[in-house]
Amino acid sequence: MSEQTPTDLQLEFQINGRNMKRRAKPHQRLLDFIRDDLALTGAKEGCGAGECGTCSVFVDGKLVKSCLMPVAKANGTKIETIEGLTGWGGDLTPVQKAFHKTGASQCGYCIPGMVMAATSALRENPKADIEEIKERLGGNICRCTGYTKIFEAVEMARDVLSGEASATVLEADGPGKSYIGNNVRRLDAPSKVSGRLRYAGDMVMPGMLHMQVLRSPHAHALIKSIDTSAAENLPGVACVITSDDVPGEDGFGVFVHDQPIMARGRVRYVGEAIAAVTADDVLTAAHAVSLIKVEYEPVAAVFDAEEAMQNGAPVVHDYAPDNIVKHIPIRKGDLEQGFAEADLVVEQTYETQAVEHAYLEPEAGIAYVDHDDVVTVVSPSQNITHHRHMLAKIIDRPINKVRFIMSPVGGGFGGKEDMIYQGMLALAAMKTGAPVRLVYTREESIISTAKRHPARITYKMGLKNDGRITAVSFRMICDGGAYGLSTEGVMRKAAILSCGPYNVPNLEIDVYGVYTHNTPSGAFRTFGAMQSQFATESHMDICAEKLGLDPFEIRRINMMHDGAVTHTQQTLGSVSMGRVLDAAEKACRWDTGPVGMRGQERSDLGGDDTRPPCTLGARFRKTGDDDRQEVA
Amino acid sequence: MLTCDQYHMPTSLADALALWQDAPEGTRLVAGATDILPWAREGRAGNVHLPAMIDLSRVPELDGYTVEDGRIRLGANVVYQQFLTDEKLRALLPCMPYCSIWFADDQIREQATLAGNIVNASPAADGTPPMLALNGELEIARLEDGDISHRTIAITDFIKGPGSTDLQPGEIVTAVICDTLEGYGGSFQKVGQRRSLVISSVCAVACVKLNEDDGTVADIRLALGGISPVPLRLTKTEQMLTGKRLTREMIVEAARQPADLVASRTRREYRRVVVRGFVEAAIEDALADCGAAVPNTDTRETANV
Repeated sequence: MSEQTPTDLQLEFQINGRNMKRRAKPHQRLLDFIRDDLALTGAKEGCGAGECGTCSVFVDGKLVKSCLMPVAKANGTKIETIEGLTGWGGDLTPVQKAFHKTGASQCGYCIPGMVMAATSALRENPKADIEEIKERLGGNICRCTGYTKIFEAVEMARDVLSGEASATVLEADGPGKSYIGNNVRRLDAPSKVSGRLRYAGDMVMPGMLHMQVLRSPHAHALIKSIDTSAAENLPGVACVITSDDVPGEDGFGVFVHDQPIMARGRVRYVGEAIAAVTADDVLTAAHAVSLIKVEYEPVAAVFDAEEAMQNGAPVVHDYAPDNIVKHIPIRKGDLEQGFAEADLVVEQTYETQAVEHAYLEPEAGIAYVDHDDVVTVVSPSQNITHHRHMLAKIIDRPINKVRFIMSPVGGGFGGKEDMIYQGMLALAAMKTGAPVRLVYTREESIISTAKRHPARITYKMGLKNDGRITAVSFRMICDGGAYGLSTEGVMRKAAILSCGPYNVPNLEIDVYGVYTHNTPSGAFRTFGAMQSQFATESHMDICAEKLGLDPFEIRRINMMHDGAVTHTQQTLGSVSMGRVLDAAEKACRWDTGPVGMRGQERSDLGGDDTRPPCTLGARFRKTGDDDRQEVA
Repeated sequence: MLTCDQYHMPTSLADALALWQDAPEGTRLVAGATDILPWAREGRAGNVHLPAMIDLSRVPELDGYTVEDGRIRLGANVVYQQFLTDEKLRALLPCMPYCSIWFADDQIREQATLAGNIVNASPAADGTPPMLALNGELEIARLEDGDISHRTIAITDFIKGPGSTDLQPGEIVTAVICDTLEGYGGSFQKVGQRRSLVISSVCAVACVKLNEDDGTVADIRLALGGISPVPLRLTKTEQMLTGKRLTREMIVEAARQPADLVASRTRREYRRVVVRGFVEAAIEDALADCGAAVPNTDTRETANV
């Protein structure tokens, strides 16, 4: 911190039609100012780096990203936020109604920014065509919708505003005789398209303190000492917590409770929480974090799951000396005989990488101890009941003195199933007696929370010349990272679905979730099936090519039918695989070509139902221009 | 996070220069601020505390543009969006709308300035190759005995390397000055990992004018970014094509040479392939932009880059 005292800015501006005179800190961004000082929380912070557009507001009629604008630049301007489009309690605008109508808002976190970008697009060019709309919304990211419903909404609003379509198209469709097959508007959409819905990071409480977290720079190190005295003595700091502050049985996880609230004697991945500071404001808390002294002794680490399974590899958790989180074996038939019957045996190894969920809402939460001594945590948890039970043990309180409130989830995709930060919030609220809020930065979210399991799959398949599968050996090794989280469940599902919807008389499946010193892996949409299906379907294509079969044909030969028994002995009453293949073949306009290839026609490309490549420069393209300047 | 003790918004060039001259060590000049805020975050510069920031966006001497004798003086406050929305600028600088539409997104283009983009001296800056192609110079001001004095310097001499420039203590870039190319066709090619908001792996710019009588090349300008520590003007290739009637073979041949200029430390082979396709596509798109017949494109390398 500098010795000089920051000089406050004196600002005069108009916001949403109201004149204001305020002081601001010199470093504040416009986004901080409108959210923290003016309590207008419709604009969100999805990334803080200008990448996602959730913070878009109008300044003097021009749409800008308020996370990239120092607040001083707004002095003397007219600012319009999403709250200003309608005014509080006012009627939704046609753009907002169209978002409601088409189902464009799902988690809703990107939606205020999307509505602002759509409003800007139609203000700049009321006749914008779809290409121009896409281009003008290019600075905004959505992770739920795939954008189609958003673009549909903008086109609908354009037509209503220009009079090309009647305003009645914005109204709800009747459900008819059934809700099934009819569009039904979401109940929560008005709160999302108007920016009124408050996510955890938008919530404030009187006397609220702010938390910042010290994280490990090492993948594997022993913690020799933690000196928090300088941080604790900094004016404005309310408390510093470490694992020493945990009163009960420290450990959480969806299956095995192997993860402490904060590192206990040892850090196991880069980004693991070690200590947390609670202070009057985020800046003070961040400054205090930098004053905590930790003495580490780095020790050997292991970053590859297969290496971690070898004898002598560094051990991640003492309870699991072989580093195995979970091994799921499945056996059926006689593998040796199956391969002996085969005319062809094909072996390949497939690898997939870690994937970040990148929900638009970074983790956030607020905790307090209420008047009846109930420790309460408000957060976008995807698993609050389980969290509640785990936290009760960790803080050694009866279950009726622990409460979890689920705030709106601004995208989760499985990534918010783990109790990564709620424990720290609870401990700090208990220690200070005040409400405590923690809002992750995007960087913090990426470095410290669960990812999709990276997998290495060795596939060996035996087939007859006519395409029938005789045997499969499937060995999948997944990098579970430093803690168990959902690994056990993910492994189980990967194993159950490993060989896909195909009849395999003889098989041997081994799926391993393995500890390493990488970022922990956890739940992510499909829960392990994506990795195994990538291998299975790739392998089917390769085998089809080797046998001279059409890729659809090899699947039809091996697919399960009504009454089939799965590899885990479940009888399936009805199997839609045949219909799915027929529909897929038709929809992609598949031409059977030479062995294992598509036909020459490529009639799958460029049809009405395909999404054309995005063009650039739609707004100034001269009529008659061909498709130059396009990108795929 | 970026913090500072003082945030200044001077309203005249004289005030800005005086503040800058006397500013404490570590003070930064700010134009659109769209680069400095993401820079001061974890993974890049981390938490940064500056004694002061001097914001130039309210300095009127840096606003707007003037045209004289085939050159345009673009004030340092001209933002990228103006190259899309200002019809006069679009006509005078035919490659800039294409460059601009590839630059960031609508929101950031309202804030980000061409001058700021050049001064940052990133090897991947989108704005620098077009300015090289247009014989760009920077106008720089400083205080000398209390009076404002100016110098101009060619952008090729100004940019020394990644992040390194010839800007001296106390100096402020006040304008970008470059050729106007009315009647030329312009184009810009860029590839990165996302369409909006992406740093170029490679970018290429072309401006072409043909002689009306015989269709030969009266003038052609070509430049590349993202392939070496500083962006490059393709003078040799320009010379090779000037005065010629362009054929398919000639364009393919012209596109072959610049691949050898790729000096990036990473993804060199990839960039060589892209450069070849981009030079070809840039020339052809610029021809199309000025309404000229484009040689048969069936065999074009970059049908769908």
